Amino acid sequence: MIEYLIEGPLWYFSLAVFCIGVLLQLGRIVFAKGKADLSVARGSASSGAIRNVFSRFVPHREIAPQIRVQVVAGYMFHLGLFALLFFAAPHVNFIEKQLLGFGWTPMPHWAFIVASQFAFFGLILLWLRRMLNSVSRLISTTDDHIAAILTFVVMLTGCLALGKGSHELKLLHFFTVELLMIYFPFSCLMHTFTFIPSRAFTGAWFGRRGIDA
Amino acid sequence: MLTAPATAGPGPPKRPDFPQGVSTTNPGNNLWSEVRQRDLPLTGTSQVKGVDSGVLINVQGDRWARFRIDNPVRHAPTLLVAVVLVLLAFYVLRGKVGIEGGLSGRMVFRFTDYERILHWCLAIVFLFLAITGLILLLGRTLMIPLFGHHLFSLIASASKEGHNLFGPIFLVSLLLMLVSFARRNIYEKGDLTWLLKGGGFIGKGHVSGGFFNMGEKSWYWLVILIGLAISISGLILVFPNFGQGRVIMVVSNVVHVFGAIVLIAVSIGHMYMGSIGTEGSSEGMKSGYVDINWADAHHDRWAKTCHENDEILSAEEFARLQGEPIDSGEATTGAGK
Repeated sequence: MIEYLIEGPLWYFSLAVFCIGVLLQLGRIVFAKGKADLSVARGSASSGAIRNVFSRFVPHREIAPQIRVQVVAGYMFHLGLFALLFFAAPHVNFIEKQLLGFGWTPMPHWAFIVASQFAFFGLILLWLRRMLNSVSRLISTTDDHIAAILTFVVMLTGCLALGKGSHELKLLHFFTVELLMIYFPFSCLMHTFTFIPSRAFTGAWFGRRGIDA
Repeated sequence: MLTAPATAGPGPPKRPDFPQGVSTTNPGNNLWSEVRQRDLPLTGTSQVKGVDSGVLINVQGDRWARFRIDNPVRHAPTLLVAVVLVLLAFYVLRGKVGIEGGLSGRMVFRFTDYERILHWCLAIVFLFLAITGLILLLGRTLMIPLFGHHLFSLIASASKEGHNLFGPIFLVSLLLMLVSFARRNIYEKGDLTWLLKGGGFIGKGHVSGGFFNMGEKSWYWLVILIGLAISISGLILVFPNFGQGRVIMVVSNVVHVFGAIVLIAVSIGHMYMGSIGTEGSSEGMKSGYVDINWADAHHDRWAKTCHENDEILSAEEFARLQGEPIDSGEATTGAGK
């Protein structure tokens, strides 16, 4: 019964909430009405947007020493998670059979293990910094903590289910993924889709005003 | 040799008596003895190329399995429960170790964000490894009667995967810990006195300590040395494909299990002392600041330099740094910088 619910109705429900929720949130941002910029352009908005999208991958030299931990941990976590999500053999298999009808070459098992270790280590460091740094702690919301914990639980159940023949553990992982998909559109996890448009928007605004930031 | 012919008369024929002690050799005995290597280790030849591939039955495995059941599996729960009971008894009899004059509210900086992140990262990973490791070591004995075979097999499978995955993270955290804290944990003059006085529990009078006292330094080096032994032996066990034979695997397992049990047992004491056992201890690893009275009581040599360099924050300054609302009533306890 639980197996049927998790692999059937709950999966379709969470997929629908995820897709519709993400589209609605992105639409809300795209179609948001802002004040028209009437100022005379001092520079190119497009080049400012492109420059800002890429320049923000590297921290400013002035603050780099203070944020070394979260830069290193941030890259470890995000790159590890990206590799896990799109190149882990079980995920590629699932995408091929359940979602797209085609797949691609997955990474070998050893790379899967290394990627997950990077992701776990990075996420633990990031969450600890959020809790232990007084400024980060003050600006963190409940949403930030739920998102971090939920992501950790999804990753953990996935890795614990690596043993062969543990269908119940895979089911548990599937269930936590569904919870994450339902929570995703209404949380800070939306930054997965918004971080590039956000950088581009800010960069375009700066570029038009000739600000080199 | 027949010695007694059958007697004449009615009844069933009597079977002949054989003299006692005549050995009849089973031709399979010698073969089996050699296979089991009862006399000496025997290596044969095989088409299969690999470590120990010429050994039909490796007796080391049998010995190790018996040793594992008779020693760590049998005695580890007793040791861990005993440590908890001793600490419980100590807490009931002695109570929380307080600070003379209580907490002042005036704080002094002790650990950076990075150092605290590293400490808690190592602690979280260690706890995860300890729990999954104990499940793998003792689960068959303790958990199957409670949960049954199927549920235990799921828990054990998950524990094994999690344990192998988080092991290397523990090693990296440990090495970062070694680099960050080693210099301050080198033994110095006065540490032996601290040890002889049992950290203040034996005899009277104040026991002097630097940034880290003798107990903390010893705990640090125990974590580093046993942690490295556990990590290296764990890597040998996780990667059996690098040519290590059965003997190396068995030795690694013994080192891994015994090292882990010792570290878990002592870590329970560390957790006790760092939380409910000593007043004001946990604050250093939470906010990075400690009460100056706590520093005076436990680390007076380091506290003296803080006094001399005027590094002490008032309660208001500390609350402002932590972003907490300032209570004007309590803030008066701070004597300023």
